[in-house]
Amino acid sequence: MKRALAAVAVSIALLWIVGIASGHADLLRVLVTGSIGSTFAIEGTLLKSVPLLLTGLAVVIAFRAGVWNIGGEGQFIAGALAAFVAAPLGTIVAIVASILAGALWASIASLMRAWRNAPEVLTTILLNFIGIELLGYCVNGPLQEASGKYPQSEAVAASLPQLGEIHAGVALALIAAIASWFLIYRTKEGLRLRATGFNPSAAHYAGINVNAQIARGMAISGGVAGLAGGIELLGVTHRLFERFAAGYGYSGIAVALLAQLHPLATIGAAAFFGALVTGAGELQRAANVSSSVATLGQAVVILVLILFGSMRSRTS
Amino acid sequence: MIELAIIATVPLLLAVEGELIVQRAGMINLGIEGMMLTAAMTTVLFGFFGGLAGALLIAVLFGVFAIRLRADQIVTGTAINLFALGVTGFAYREWNDRLAGAVPHVDSSAIAVAAWIVIPIALALMLWRTRFGLRLRACGENPEAVRASGYSVTMLRWSALIIEALLVGTAGAELARTGFAENMSAGRGYIALSIVIFGRWKVKGVLLGSALFGAAAVLQYALQAASRGVQFHLLLAVPYVVTLLILCGIAGRVRAPEALGK
Amino acid sequence: MTLRIDHVTKSFGATRAVDDVSLEIEAGEIVGLVGENGAGKTTLMRIVAAELAADAGTINVAPPPSAARTAGGGGATSIGFVHQHFMLVNDFTIAENLALATGALPREAEGIIAGSGIELRGVTRRARDLSVGEKSKLELIKAIARKPEVLILDEPTSVLTPYESDELFRVMRNIASEGTAVVFISHKVREVIEVATRVVVMRRGRVVVESAKMTAEELAAAMVDTPRGDFAPVTETRTGEIVAIVGVAGNGQRELADTYLREHPRARLGFIPEDRTRDGLVAEMSIAENVALVGDGRRTPQLIEQYSIRAKGPDQLAGALSGGNQQKVILARELDRAPELIVAAEPTRGLDIEATRFVHEQLRRAANRGAKIVLITSDLDEAFALADAIQVIYRGKLSERMTPGEASSRVAALMAGVA
Repeated sequence: MKRALAAVAVSIALLWIVGIASGHADLLRVLVTGSIGSTFAIEGTLLKSVPLLLTGLAVVIAFRAGVWNIGGEGQFIAGALAAFVAAPLGTIVAIVASILAGALWASIASLMRAWRNAPEVLTTILLNFIGIELLGYCVNGPLQEASGKYPQSEAVAASLPQLGEIHAGVALALIAAIASWFLIYRTKEGLRLRATGFNPSAAHYAGINVNAQIARGMAISGGVAGLAGGIELLGVTHRLFERFAAGYGYSGIAVALLAQLHPLATIGAAAFFGALVTGAGELQRAANVSSSVATLGQAVVILVLILFGSMRSRTS
Repeated sequence: MIELAIIATVPLLLAVEGELIVQRAGMINLGIEGMMLTAAMTTVLFGFFGGLAGALLIAVLFGVFAIRLRADQIVTGTAINLFALGVTGFAYREWNDRLAGAVPHVDSSAIAVAAWIVIPIALALMLWRTRFGLRLRACGENPEAVRASGYSVTMLRWSALIIEALLVGTAGAELARTGFAENMSAGRGYIALSIVIFGRWKVKGVLLGSALFGAAAVLQYALQAASRGVQFHLLLAVPYVVTLLILCGIAGRVRAPEALGK
Repeated sequence: MTLRIDHVTKSFGATRAVDDVSLEIEAGEIVGLVGENGAGKTTLMRIVAAELAADAGTINVAPPPSAARTAGGGGATSIGFVHQHFMLVNDFTIAENLALATGALPREAEGIIAGSGIELRGVTRRARDLSVGEKSKLELIKAIARKPEVLILDEPTSVLTPYESDELFRVMRNIASEGTAVVFISHKVREVIEVATRVVVMRRGRVVVESAKMTAEELAAAMVDTPRGDFAPVTETRTGEIVAIVGVAGNGQRELADTYLREHPRARLGFIPEDRTRDGLVAEMSIAENVALVGDGRRTPQLIEQYSIRAKGPDQLAGALSGGNQQKVILARELDRAPELIVAAEPTRGLDIEATRFVHEQLRRAANRGAKIVLITSDLDEAFALADAIQVIYRGKLSERMTPGEASSRVAALMAGVA
């Protein structure tokens, strides 16, 4: 917890320094007001936090099983695609489809690992690229809007119920975080998952089928990332388009690290990064300062956490 | 058009060559994306050697975390990419006028010849015919054996990073020939990673891979321009699918350096 | 030239691995360093080779070594150590591996091999494609090529065929005659007798016997602490039984244990692995969670009491417990389910007397209640104290069952493969 707070503090401090050094003394202030200074801002922050929470959760779950899931991008897209296709059958079906699609997409990597020892670190990255091209193909082809003018799909046939500007995905994300916590810490399956992640050898001798356990962990992880995609589609964008995933998968890594790999902490971590991104958006609009400061903030958080020894190589 | 493809692929090729050395030494540097981007920006600001310096700075950052602190290489690489993206994006907006213009430097065709001919030959010779190259490759297979023979794995890996930085720095410089644009590396760093795998960590293989990926990219623009529809996305996906299959050992046996990432 | 080991002592925590050992080895000798697993042979030699630091005592090579190991590698090293586990680069060819180790060029490999006197063909073959015997030879050539003054070989023949072993002995004699002092760590009695000019026997960290002339039987007996009398009481109404499988470590005990694991459903098997930190408990999880992995976690408070486990509570992390208490946790969770079959591999390794007694008591009780216990151990005292029947494992094969009485006279020879 202390490390996380320290990382956040350093990040904020750095942004403040950057602001002063570049002649934007109010940089920090605008970030704050832009993210939580008004109802509009808070809503924006909330909406931006949802996909971050879920992709972060995905990384956390996989990591608990001892594997790197950097395939969040691809699983996010797979989920969104599935949700789009299933939408005519209703919102609930679409959401379920997004979870299944994400799980399936992640399982491709698991299968390759089990079958041919292909390292997930590499296969998941490749699957990300394939997912991106698949999306590009769809929105330029079979799923493209009727007018054919832009590389985007028609409006999706279903959507999440909304309360004002906030869509039900917020609730779903929170439920997912709590459910993950419960699964990992309060169930036998979660116990086995953690054992496998901490000490695969001891897990094996305790009678756990390590490969199967990891595959299950990856599938759940992928499902959560897929859910993120489905929610983003049905709640926010309502259309598919190129660059739909826009780095959510990789940002998930930052969220997971800030959450110190604890499922419930992803709520806070995602909120922070969501605020950062929303505030940065306002910064760009109001003060013409690149919204990339949010990315910079993310990077600094990770680097500080690494510095504090949070991420010793798991394989060393 | 072939000439276009050859020159356009140079940044990618250089990045691939750099990452090949580093992976052969046992590290996965996801941060080449950030390295290239940074080098592009510093080239526009400070010229060709500025570009190299920018890349070296990023290499030092990666090395400090991944080698010295033994931090997880994936996380470090991701953080570096985000860092570079953040810094360059910010700088772009701040100094738009300074960054947008064209910057002539080292002759393009000279770099192209270097990338396609000189460097591959030098690389192959270095890795497979020199003592240094032998030790470097050993770092990627069994660092313990290297230490037992009395060499410093740390020094060897730093050397690999520095060489990569010089190559990727040149790549960034080449990219920024017509000026800097936000996120102009456009994923080339990640693609370079795939190509190293596709090429099975061999010089000939990565040359072929770069040529294929490069051709596919150029074809994409051509098809897009001729609005031959949608197939170019599928076309772009093919190399990745093939790389996946290669990882599964379908197209012959594949062996990543044993100590990769450790 | 002489290698002088002077009053060297080394402890790992509470265990005295090497206990005040003094030894002198001259150039041209082939010293067979013999003893059971855990006797301290490898530790002592690692201290000689400067891989470990001694707690007390000194190592002297006189005259002084010609060149220290430099960062450039390939310089003349005074002490060469051929380890038991290979340090080869699998993807490299023989030539490349040699080049790495000696600083020479790959094309000089054949010359280096010829100079060593060891036969190894096909230098363009990759290390991963070599047979285990060939890998062993390659490691040896690597060490010899650096022209050491002292050459230490740790169990070099464990993976060689008889023909290859003979070749090795020829090489050892050659090197010795050229002035190198050779130390040959082994538990293979026959071979040591054949090639060593002097035999040094270690037991529990001390040198117990040094002789230039010993028969195989004398050596086998000296290696092993054969117990006298003191057998398990003919038990009252024991419905189960304890079978002890004894043997020198590395003769197939792991594989045997794994076989049981494979052939029986985990739920009906009690399994106490040899390496409790790596294979037994998950250090990062609590005691209760570790229990829950295999049994009923809710019973952890009772188990803590029942087994007198010294812990702050069921939620304490398993990694924080002492070795003895960790072993108690494993024992508790396995025995609590009252399985019919229990496999216990080295269950008292690293435990103090009190903990050892406790474990033995628990095993006895389980057997009294009807369990069959397979006790895999290299501790003969333990075996004879607990077992109803004894078998010896040697090179993966089990001897016939013997009663403790029958076994007492035969076990040393069986373990050394001499019988």
